[in-house]
Amino acid sequence: MLDILKQVHTEALAKLKTAEGEQELETLRQEIFGKNGRLTAILRTMGQLSAEERAEIGRLVNAAKQELEALLGDRLALIRAAARERLFAAEALDVTEPGLVPLPAGALHPMTQTYRTIRDTLVGMGFSMFDGPEIELDDYNFTLLNLPKDHPARDMQDTFYIDENVVLRTHTSPLEARALQTLKPPFRLIMPGRVFRVDEVDASHSPVFMQMEGFVVDKNLNMANLKGTLDSFIHALFGEDVKTRLRPSYFPFTEPSAELDMSCTICGGTGCRVCKGTGWIELLGCGMTNPHELENCGLDPKEWSAFAFGLGVDRMTSLKYGITDIRLEYENDARFLRQFQ
Amino acid sequence: MKLPKSWLCEYVDFNVSDADFAERMMWRGFELEGTEKELAGVAGVVTGRIVSLAPHPNADKLLVCQVDIGDKTVQILTNATNVFESACVPVAIEGAKIREKTFGAANIRGVDSFGMFCSGEELALTEDECPGAGVDGILILPPDTQPGLDIAAALGKDDIIFDFSVTPNRPDCLSILGLAREAAAALGQAFQAPEIPHIADDQNAADLARVTVEEPKLCPRYCARVVTDIRVGPSPAWMQRRLRACGLRPINNIVDITNYVLLEMGHPLHAFDLACVAEGHIIVRRAAEGEIVTTLDEKQHKMDADMLLIADPKKGVAIAGVMGGLNSEIVPETKTVLFESAVFLGSNVRKTAKKLRHVTDAAARFAKGVEPVNAYMALERAIALVRELNAGTIYGEVIDANAADLTPRQITIDTDHVNRILGLDLSGAAMAELLSTIDIPAAPAESGLLVTVPHFRGDIESGIEADADIAEEVGRLYGYQNIPPVLMRGETFRGQIGPAFCDEDGVKDCLVRCGCLEMYNFNFTGPAALALLGFHEDDDRNKAVRIQNPFGEDQSLMRTSLYSGMLESAGRNVSRRTGHGRFMEVGNVHIAGGEALPEERKMIGLIYFGEMESFFTLKGTVEQLMRVFRVPNLRFVAKREHGFQPGRCAAVYSGQTLLGEMGQVHPDVLAAYSIAQPVYMAELSFSALRQVKSEAITFVPLPRYPLVARDLAVVVDAGAESAAIADIIAGADTKPVLISDVRLFDAYRGHGVPHGKKSLAFTFNLRASDHTLSEAEIRQAFETIIEALARNGAPLRS
Repeated sequence: MLDILKQVHTEALAKLKTAEGEQELETLRQEIFGKNGRLTAILRTMGQLSAEERAEIGRLVNAAKQELEALLGDRLALIRAAARERLFAAEALDVTEPGLVPLPAGALHPMTQTYRTIRDTLVGMGFSMFDGPEIELDDYNFTLLNLPKDHPARDMQDTFYIDENVVLRTHTSPLEARALQTLKPPFRLIMPGRVFRVDEVDASHSPVFMQMEGFVVDKNLNMANLKGTLDSFIHALFGEDVKTRLRPSYFPFTEPSAELDMSCTICGGTGCRVCKGTGWIELLGCGMTNPHELENCGLDPKEWSAFAFGLGVDRMTSLKYGITDIRLEYENDARFLRQFQ
Repeated sequence: MKLPKSWLCEYVDFNVSDADFAERMMWRGFELEGTEKELAGVAGVVTGRIVSLAPHPNADKLLVCQVDIGDKTVQILTNATNVFESACVPVAIEGAKIREKTFGAANIRGVDSFGMFCSGEELALTEDECPGAGVDGILILPPDTQPGLDIAAALGKDDIIFDFSVTPNRPDCLSILGLAREAAAALGQAFQAPEIPHIADDQNAADLARVTVEEPKLCPRYCARVVTDIRVGPSPAWMQRRLRACGLRPINNIVDITNYVLLEMGHPLHAFDLACVAEGHIIVRRAAEGEIVTTLDEKQHKMDADMLLIADPKKGVAIAGVMGGLNSEIVPETKTVLFESAVFLGSNVRKTAKKLRHVTDAAARFAKGVEPVNAYMALERAIALVRELNAGTIYGEVIDANAADLTPRQITIDTDHVNRILGLDLSGAAMAELLSTIDIPAAPAESGLLVTVPHFRGDIESGIEADADIAEEVGRLYGYQNIPPVLMRGETFRGQIGPAFCDEDGVKDCLVRCGCLEMYNFNFTGPAALALLGFHEDDDRNKAVRIQNPFGEDQSLMRTSLYSGMLESAGRNVSRRTGHGRFMEVGNVHIAGGEALPEERKMIGLIYFGEMESFFTLKGTVEQLMRVFRVPNLRFVAKREHGFQPGRCAAVYSGQTLLGEMGQVHPDVLAAYSIAQPVYMAELSFSALRQVKSEAITFVPLPRYPLVARDLAVVVDAGAESAAIADIIAGADTKPVLISDVRLFDAYRGHGVPHGKKSLAFTFNLRASDHTLSEAEIRQAFETIIEALARNGAPLRS
């Protein structure tokens, strides 16, 4: 019987070493410990033995059983580990493959982004938003702004007409007149919106474009305040390093009038294609509001003062991102828009 | 305004570089738009003397010339036949540029040539301005020409012409003298104004001509002078040169004088052949309705009674301020001339010129404003030139029909106000000093500054704008660059974006998070694009606002929806293969009607296309937007709209409020935009959205008891709407069991489902607010739901 035990033990050990896979191991377990297993068979025949023999053989069988069970367990762990290892190897990824996007990334139009930057800067300076219609009365677009019919300066802005008294607004300035008539001064306003001019489309012109007007009404405002306001706002937008210059100009609705230039953001002022070699870029028109406009809108120009500035959001956007053709801003080419995600 | 440097130097001591000058003028409000050379477009062409010439060994028609170009001798080939040894010629040496053409070395049949000789034509010179330039061949220069000179200098054509932009408030600077006055001040020099002599004799001009102004309001001043024994001929070279430099073509001495004075003094003159003016009588009157006048350019104009005519007793001889008549033109035979220098009302001239579509340079100047004192002086200047050019005999005195007040205006300026406007602290004396540099006399007075407005500064007003006008002058003379930037002081303000703009941000931000790219389309559309969308007859969107002066018919309407613009952009993206398409736009549309102005509506547009898009990806975005704005009772109702594919269009409601529509674009519409793939599009009203959105976020406590998830499938008619079934489930009376999150997760037609039916599978959650549901409760609730479904014709799928 001892011989049988030894034989079972030796054979089991040999099989254990070579067993591959959980199934084979299970078969082996059945073969040894199962109902008809070989160790089970030995135990079953032990009744024929003497008590001493039984004790001795029982001890040996138990020792063998424990040893084999332990080995069986180890082997199982080993096989399972190897199987996972293989699985992981099979599931290994090429981590350099492109990521999957659950949704395409959208993007605000760069003009909206510029508009928001300007707006947020000015809101931080105490300006509030004010809105008005794109199709506007001639009175608001021109007459109240010191541009009566047949004023030669009306030719400065080629106008789309709906009828004799209604136009597509050529600038955001009609909002000044509307604000003066409806709000109680003092106030500081930002007035954004689309404006329209009879300009054929080319790289730097568009019949539809977006303007933003700043308009401040208070007592004792002066040119120095206008300069101070514009400087801080331009620096917020384009950085502290840019230089500005305010030079005389003319607009019917401001007196004195000025234009603000900024040192070229592309070449830094040394002269390039964008600034036409001058080192300066025309940024916006501005000035102290013409007393006639204040009076036309019911404010006493002796008591109140105002200043205004108007800028092209399209143009600012072009300058900010180095876009050389304004047409791109209205073509809505996805490849263009995705660059601003 | 073109300003030749040599002309400027006649009145100003020019003592700085050109760049410095331009900058100084910029600070005065005169922007340099460009600089031209008198010999425009020519660079690197020098004078050369032909030392020797010999035939080309391999080409019959070519000559090999050795040419002295000052510092060296170069070899140049030519096929010209008029060159000879010792001839002086213009040489475009290696690297020279004439307009777009650059010259380099060449090898022709084995012989090198280091440049080319130039003809007069190549240098854009005419025989008139440069004798010899007209010959067929090379321009032969005078024999004493020194080799190696720049050709412009050698020809005496090396002037620089500045081109300044002049703002509309400064018509006085549309003249050499006006700009010179500003230039002198900018350069810190004295302005040496020219002396204009008064020339007259004892004869009576009225014997030959008289002037009657019937409309003094439209013609406040009409000055005229008579010149007899006219000798029509070419004007002198110096005058021709200046006219050419300013872009005018010399014609004859009489016309050239009027043009020269126009440039110099900024006042348009006209010369009539007095023999063609009946009875020598000039009558300034309104035209008769339908009266025909043929102008110098041989165009016929039909006049109306608002237009001012220069006439004789029989006929019109000129359209006032616009152009002279052909019938009284100066011709070589002209013997007696009447020079006219008048002031016509700018607004009237502007209207006339626009109506006749004949906006001449003269008309533009009258429209910008001319003034009576300068009118007189310009005439005197012309007469002085007539004598200087010996072009005729001045007859008698000036004929002056004047209704204008010529007394210089005086205005009293509040100097404190000027300082308040500028943010400066200048004394009255300092302001007077600055103003004097541009010939504005001013003297400190008791109540401020007494300013005498010079006749040429009509832009300086007497009324409420006076202080501001003088502030602008003082400001720009002091230098805007010297005004310190100072932040505003006083009351502080709370800056606010405001609810409407915030909501616009919210819409855009939500849609960007949904993966949309933002579009900006033009507001213009056309009748064809509008018709294509086929809105129902009673739809507001058919009522487009029409533009009177559009670019073209296809851009003649203001858009009534965002659709056409979005479709056009979509088409562009499809044809350019820009990839997946998911776009949004927020913009205004306009509906004709309304009280004073058309109705303006802000709309939200969406347009989706590409493989991963479907009706339901678009719908998902709409739902997401509505979720973000907490819109209650969102409903999608099937709808028929011609622009959309039948059966794939829905109206979007919140309760009973219509928010907009969405659907798959009709293939016929897509075809018009050359799109051959499905496109999904929606338009929602921004204001309706704002109206139904709920403002406040109210916190709801989290459920404390567990939920039980259940699902079921029902069989319904194939045309049934799943939302109705979901409503039945959600609305089943299962109290106290709460039903939530009812969601369709599968819709199936085919094997196992009867023909004409479909199976809809829903999932939903059950829970109670105050205890954990028991098995019995769950079973009871489930059965109640099933009964409700069965009652409504949606039996459980077995």
